[in-house]
Amino acid sequence: MAEYKTFNQKNWIKTNLDYRKDTGSWAWIFHRISGIALIGYLFLHIYSVSSLSQGRTAFNKFMEHYTGTFFSILEWLLFAFVLFHSLNGVRIVLVDWADGAKYHKSLYRFSIAVGLILFFAMGYIMFSHEIIKLFASH
Amino acid sequence: MYKHQNSRSSGSFGWVMQRVSGIVLVVVMIGHYILMHYHPENGHTYEAVLARMQSNWYRVLDLTFIVLGMYHGLNGVWSIFRDYRLKQWQSITILSLIIIFGLAFTLWGIKTILDIPYINGGSTAFFGN
Repeated sequence: MAEYKTFNQKNWIKTNLDYRKDTGSWAWIFHRISGIALIGYLFLHIYSVSSLSQGRTAFNKFMEHYTGTFFSILEWLLFAFVLFHSLNGVRIVLVDWADGAKYHKSLYRFSIAVGLILFFAMGYIMFSHEIIKLFASH
Repeated sequence: MYKHQNSRSSGSFGWVMQRVSGIVLVVVMIGHYILMHYHPENGHTYEAVLARMQSNWYRVLDLTFIVLGMYHGLNGVWSIFRDYRLKQWQSITILSLIIIFGLAFTLWGIKTILDIPYINGGSTAFFGN
């Protein structure tokens, strides 16, 4: 019989970190991190878009602060969080409702591949003007 | 079987709703991204938003998006807390904060959408605005 260690409630961070981690554990960890980031962003998003109520000049002036390469890159990184959470969310639904436990590891690898392709495709769409300029100057 | 603590419900309703709202959010999110980023100016100027919001379909879509996104997100946050053995005063405090801030920001988002004016004198028709 295997011996089970009792969960150390006092030191749960260390206990969690000590577990041996496989595909599913990493998916679980990243799903939580991206989920917390996304709900944080949703609060921020509702706040930032609320300046719409103050009319055209106020909103356009407000949005001027959030344009430019730096914020575009942040938006692109946000897309990485959205992608992971969406694709892994679909994976969770398949595991729960479509016998996905039998193929959840290959599903994880497939999701990562699809996610990377979509991430760089979005990068091209968002930065295509800059990319075209970069190659046109030579 | 493990007896759940701090709660009279098993949480199975929330569990199903988390999956249902998640699937809807994925679908709406695809549309949101195509709309906002295929042409950069689409998502970032007042003119574009005003033009879009003349259609009540977009308004209803955005209202659904806010409500579902908030529900899914905060249900997720609460389910993270539920993974740990909280004392009763802790879970009451956390759940109250989640509900208060969730409702406040959801209503704020709804107000933002409803505040956007109709250009041609307040038509409420669903088609042909």
